[in-house]
Amino acid sequence: MKVLAAGVVPLLLVLHWKHGAGSPLPITPVNATCATRHPCPSNLMNQIRNQLGQLNSSANSLFILYYTAQGEPFPNNLDKLCSPNVTDFPPFHANGTEKARLVELYRIIAYLGASLGNITRDQKVLNPYAHGLHSKLNATADVLRGLLSNVLCRLCSKYHVSHVDVTYGPDTSGKDIFQKKKLGCQLLGKYKQVIAVLAQAF
Amino acid sequence: LSEPLPLTPESLKVSINSTKQCLHLQWTVHNLDYHQELKMVFQIQISRFKASNVIWMGNYSTTVKRNQVLHWSWESELPLECAIHFVRMRTMVDDARIPAPRFWSNWSSWEKADAQNSLGDHPLYVFPKDKLVEEGSDVTICYISRNHQDNISCYLEDELTYGKQLDQNVWAFELKNVSFHRKTGTNFYCKGQGVPEGVVLFVSKVLEEPKDFSCETRDLKTVTCTWDPGSDTGLIQLPSYTLFESFSGKKTLCKHRNRCDWQVTQDSQEVYNFTLVAENYFRKRSVSILFNLIHGVHPLAPYNLFPKSVSATNATMTWKVSSIGHNSALLCQLQLLGEGKVIQQHNISVRVNGEYLLSELKPDTEYMARVHCAYADHFWKWSELISQNFTTAEAAPSEAPDVWRDVTFVSGHPTVTLFWKPLSKVHTNGKILFYNVVVENLDEPSSLEVLSVPAPANSTKVTLNQSSYQIYVTAHNSVGPSPASAVAISGHPENENVEEGRVNGTEDGFHMSWKPQSRNATGYVVEWCDDPQNLPCVLRWKNLGPTNTGTVISSDAFRPGVRYDFRIYEISAKGMAHLLEKKAGYLKELAPSYNPEVATINLTSHSFTLSWKDYSTESQTGFIQGYYVYLKSKTGEKCHREFEKTVLPDNSVGCKYTIDNPDQKTLVVKDLQPESVYEFFVTPYTSAGEGPLDDFTKVTTPDDYSHILIHIILPMIFCVLVVMITCYLKSQWLKDKCYPDIPDPYKSSVLSLIKFKENPHITIMNVNDCVPDAIEVVNKPEGSKIQFIGTRKSPTETKGTKPVYLDLLPTEKNYSGPGPCICFENFTYNQAASDLGYCGHFPVTPQAPHCQLGPLTSPENLLKTLEQNYMNSLGEIPAGEANLNYVSQLASPMSGDKESPPANPPEPALCSEYKMQMAIPLGLASPAPSKNSSLSSTALLDPSEHCH
Repeated sequence: MKVLAAGVVPLLLVLHWKHGAGSPLPITPVNATCATRHPCPSNLMNQIRNQLGQLNSSANSLFILYYTAQGEPFPNNLDKLCSPNVTDFPPFHANGTEKARLVELYRIIAYLGASLGNITRDQKVLNPYAHGLHSKLNATADVLRGLLSNVLCRLCSKYHVSHVDVTYGPDTSGKDIFQKKKLGCQLLGKYKQVIAVLAQAF
Repeated sequence: LSEPLPLTPESLKVSINSTKQCLHLQWTVHNLDYHQELKMVFQIQISRFKASNVIWMGNYSTTVKRNQVLHWSWESELPLECAIHFVRMRTMVDDARIPAPRFWSNWSSWEKADAQNSLGDHPLYVFPKDKLVEEGSDVTICYISRNHQDNISCYLEDELTYGKQLDQNVWAFELKNVSFHRKTGTNFYCKGQGVPEGVVLFVSKVLEEPKDFSCETRDLKTVTCTWDPGSDTGLIQLPSYTLFESFSGKKTLCKHRNRCDWQVTQDSQEVYNFTLVAENYFRKRSVSILFNLIHGVHPLAPYNLFPKSVSATNATMTWKVSSIGHNSALLCQLQLLGEGKVIQQHNISVRVNGEYLLSELKPDTEYMARVHCAYADHFWKWSELISQNFTTAEAAPSEAPDVWRDVTFVSGHPTVTLFWKPLSKVHTNGKILFYNVVVENLDEPSSLEVLSVPAPANSTKVTLNQSSYQIYVTAHNSVGPSPASAVAISGHPENENVEEGRVNGTEDGFHMSWKPQSRNATGYVVEWCDDPQNLPCVLRWKNLGPTNTGTVISSDAFRPGVRYDFRIYEISAKGMAHLLEKKAGYLKELAPSYNPEVATINLTSHSFTLSWKDYSTESQTGFIQGYYVYLKSKTGEKCHREFEKTVLPDNSVGCKYTIDNPDQKTLVVKDLQPESVYEFFVTPYTSAGEGPLDDFTKVTTPDDYSHILIHIILPMIFCVLVVMITCYLKSQWLKDKCYPDIPDPYKSSVLSLIKFKENPHITIMNVNDCVPDAIEVVNKPEGSKIQFIGTRKSPTETKGTKPVYLDLLPTEKNYSGPGPCICFENFTYNQAASDLGYCGHFPVTPQAPHCQLGPLTSPENLLKTLEQNYMNSLGEIPAGEANLNYVSQLASPMSGDKESPPANPPEPALCSEYKMQMAIPLGLASPAPSKNSSLSSTALLDPSEHCH
């Protein structure tokens, strides 16, 4: 599934997305003015770097917590069941300009945020007693939301980017439980991989 | 209706329900008349993979109307996605209104149900998805592989499972008797070369029937039914519980899995038929109960329970109850608890407010009041209890303290230590604040001394005069004093001369009895110390009535192996205490805990004495009955007299001697072998056994001669020492007596001999009359032939004897230097001559003496001469050139060569006892001696012819 979206309003919607949000961002008019609700802080890039570092430091433990909670065959077949072969995952080019990198970062964070919402929703049903996993998923989603907001501020204030096309991962609500577990594991494997690259790039 | 109708199923459609794994069939039957209803039978065939492979055939009977769409479902054990299914059916009228014969219609055409069409292009699929099964059931799982070459393995969790191939691409796995793994499902997955695929199987435990289903009402408005749901089914989806009431036909969905509320309506229904239905995906369980509302009233707990107007002995309790419909009364039960036990219980009928007066309470006592209520019209169950603690008010102590005394006399004045026991809780009636001690001098009634001792002290000391006293002790709390306890003190020492007896302890304590001395005794007191090993003594006593002549003294403080001393007093009518008896005893005697230190005394070669007089028999762990003396000897195994052979506690063999008198603390061990090693060990014994096994002490007996050494040698040594000391002290006297430097002839023993012989001619030479010898210094000129010096040949030397030289000048230089020496050749002491048995000395020439003593007649001349010649000999005469020749003071110079034998051999002659010798210079010795004669200084003296 691939949906294009653009505009400030969709960005604000993304900032307030809830678990399971997988709907595409609506396209806003191209000539919409770039404006943020609150003034951006001066040390924005530092905050972005810190948030990326924070996510990177917790990504592996989140991944382990997830596949452990799913039971066999996941812990012993990580290479196949949890391989980071996520189709349609937004690309990232570390050698691009800051603007390009920020735009790509924005897309990735939006993608991850939506997928993490799906995973959190599924796991609350599939593993209702895995409170540690739920807590970690929620904390990661919170940081992702903050990061998305900061990237938006940066794009808007410095580069006057008013809209970014974003894509989302597949909605897992209609899939069987094993597929939900597998897709979640693949996504978190990909997340662990890509967040390390992002933390390094910024 | 008389003819059979050609009715066939038409419009047969087959669909798949993947969730329930069902084939859903729907069809119609045409050719039915309007308003015609026929009972028909439909025969259905289901094939798998191909139409000819019929796997199931069955009938379905129903009543059919014209154009009615009929539905029927079939559940497949094999997931429908894994195989193509074919369905056909035929029909037959089975209605009684239609007469036989009846015929089956033709089969409908095969209808195909293919779920694989909807699958995507993934290489591997596993079915069924998210299957819910009950524990213990069987389930079939299958996979479809697009890649025929792929070698696929399937696992249930991590356990490899084996299946069977159903088709070219399809494998099935039949899981038998599946078990519950976890609430979040059991993973079944297959993996080949690609990404593993799997399904989650949810296994539910079997739903149990609710147990202990019962209902009650607290207020006649709501009925609450409870039950035990049993074990959890293990699924996230909980079973549902529904409560049905059959009389009213109402039902309610329960919000809890073990409780459900039912609202009582106003239609005054009293009896309810409740049915509880528990239901999950697989099962439905139900249980019923007939409930009468009036018979199931469980009132709510009362509240606001408080004590009101609490005095020392009474308290009023009040409480409230929740009202029940119809203004019904409740039966409440009020309980009074003291120290955790119910001591009072009262039933009170209450509508709204309850109140009850509790009486016969004890002062200053904490109580608990608690109350619960039940429906008065029909008792079924008490409500929950509520409780309230309260404490009654204080009252004056109700009993006099138990007082005893210990009287000691200091300088003739009695010092009384008063002891009292704390009043029991029953009698204090409050907190004791202090004790009053009133001392009344009976000889001076007007004098009263009052002491106040603050609690919790239990003793005080009072110093009295030598008068009679009455002492009163009262205990006081905040309300007032207790009755007084009186003790009389005589003021004079008590009679302590009472013989001490023994008392045996038992498990109950010490059973002791006594003989009353007075008929007017008002009671007896037995006193003792609880812990006599630790001072000061914790005095204990027991009061006994006048009729008692015995008692059992027991105490938790009594310990085995501790000696307790009891004193029994008789209390006179005046309150005076007189010592009646003394007893000592052990609750249980133990073996002695330690052994005496034994000293070995009076050790001889045949005996020794053992002594342990310092060992106290009073402070032991039992009454010492005697001692065992163990003796071991290394020499023999035979025991000594009065000893008996025994096996020692360490399993060695020894000899044992028993002393059965505890006061005998010495033992003489006799008949021992000298120079032998003995080992002994002394241990006391009580009725419980002997003391611990300690190390043996070694004793070695001395030999037999040691006493001789002591009795003989030592005195001898002493005597010798005395003699030596005496000799030393009297050495001068002894020397003078025995060996004087200059013998005194008058003191010589020869005198006695002379006297004995009575020879008048023999006299003693007077020294003063004696002409001293002259020393002749021979100045030998160089080159002169002084043969005497050079050859040093003398008649004696020729005979092999060595001449004797005497130093005249006893200076050290005479010994060290090789310088000139002055030698005397004393022929007088010629050994050879003496060996011949001559008393005299040869050569003795009985020639007429010339006594040429002219130059030496005076001592001055002699000294001068000696000086001069000596100086000359040192200073002028070279070594070897001057000789100091000896000239006998009495002998006349010899004529002729000295070396030549004497012309006249010497004859034995009387000789003097002493021959004084002096060196005289040769030149002075004789006038113009001849060559030969000058060489000789030998002088022979005939006492008979010399210096008389």
